[in-house]
Amino acid sequence: MDRLGIDRTTDELPPEIGAALQALDARVAKQAARVDVERVAARVLDRLRHGEVERPRRILWMSPVALRVAAAVVVLAAAGVIVNLASDHPQQTAAQQLPVAIPAMDSLNAPQLEAVLEATGEVRAVADSAVQATAGVSLDDLTEQQLQALLASLGNSEG
Amino acid sequence: MGSPVQAVAADGDLIAQYLAGEERAATELVRRHATALARYIAAQGAPEDELEDLTQETLFKAFRALATFRGGASFRTWLLAIGGNVLRDRRRRWRKNLVVELTPDIRDPSGDPGAQAEAGWAAERLQEGIGKLARLQREVFLMRAQQGSGYDEIASGLGITEGAARVHYHHAVKRLKAWIG
Repeated sequence: MDRLGIDRTTDELPPEIGAALQALDARVAKQAARVDVERVAARVLDRLRHGEVERPRRILWMSPVALRVAAAVVVLAAAGVIVNLASDHPQQTAAQQLPVAIPAMDSLNAPQLEAVLEATGEVRAVADSAVQATAGVSLDDLTEQQLQALLASLGNSEG
Repeated sequence: MGSPVQAVAADGDLIAQYLAGEERAATELVRRHATALARYIAAQGAPEDELEDLTQETLFKAFRALATFRGGASFRTWLLAIGGNVLRDRRRRWRKNLVVELTPDIRDPSGDPGAQAEAGWAAERLQEGIGKLARLQREVFLMRAQQGSGYDEIASGLGITEGAARVHYHHAVKRLKAWIG
């Protein structure tokens, strides 16, 4: 065991620190002796041989998947806010606002979509309640613009 | 006539051999320095069950960066400096206080129990004190007091001046003395 260092420098330390350091080093030397040097060497060489690239510290938001999920969450959250506002202003129905979120989710695969929907459970709950609250709105309550939009969307769904 | 004395390759020669593609040179360097490195990391409070992994990670990083080793410090001091960085990074991940328990199997079964208890207490107290030191004070103190490195090597390994290394050592000893006192 390599104790040369500590033996050489203990003399220059105050006696109480020198003694404590000797005791501490005796303890950590026993721990160090349990390190399997051959195994360490083998693993280090193995990692070097395989050209293991040190994983860069990736910022979570640099991940494309995380970015997509985050973008979808933001869009859905914004939709939730709009729906909330819609419930305060019944002339705008939730049904008109919710489709805004749909195109942004087209690029997500099933697991990503599931993650988004889990994360936005509350938003959906708000949206549902808002839709229920505005279900009694008749065509007479819609503005001209809203009627045109509705007719256009009906035309799309039929075509 | 005596048997021929087998020349022991210097670290610098082994490094050159490894960089030239000789893997056995790396193995020899690991054999030479892994235990001292583990002692250094353990003295800073690394948990025993992480010690081998920390040692391996440090050596891996060192070999990856070996081409940048300029030889101002000894290879060992350079390795210790990397070990300090690896431990610091790992601690950030652990996000909790590290306490190395003095388990019964670590105690020396021989000798006077009273003296053992006193030595054990002093060791624990010192380790606590080392943990409270500023990073450079801690690393300079252990490189000097535990590993016996010269101030010039320490300074080169840590990228500070020799005078700064002396000052850090002086402050470390002063603070540890007050802590143990």
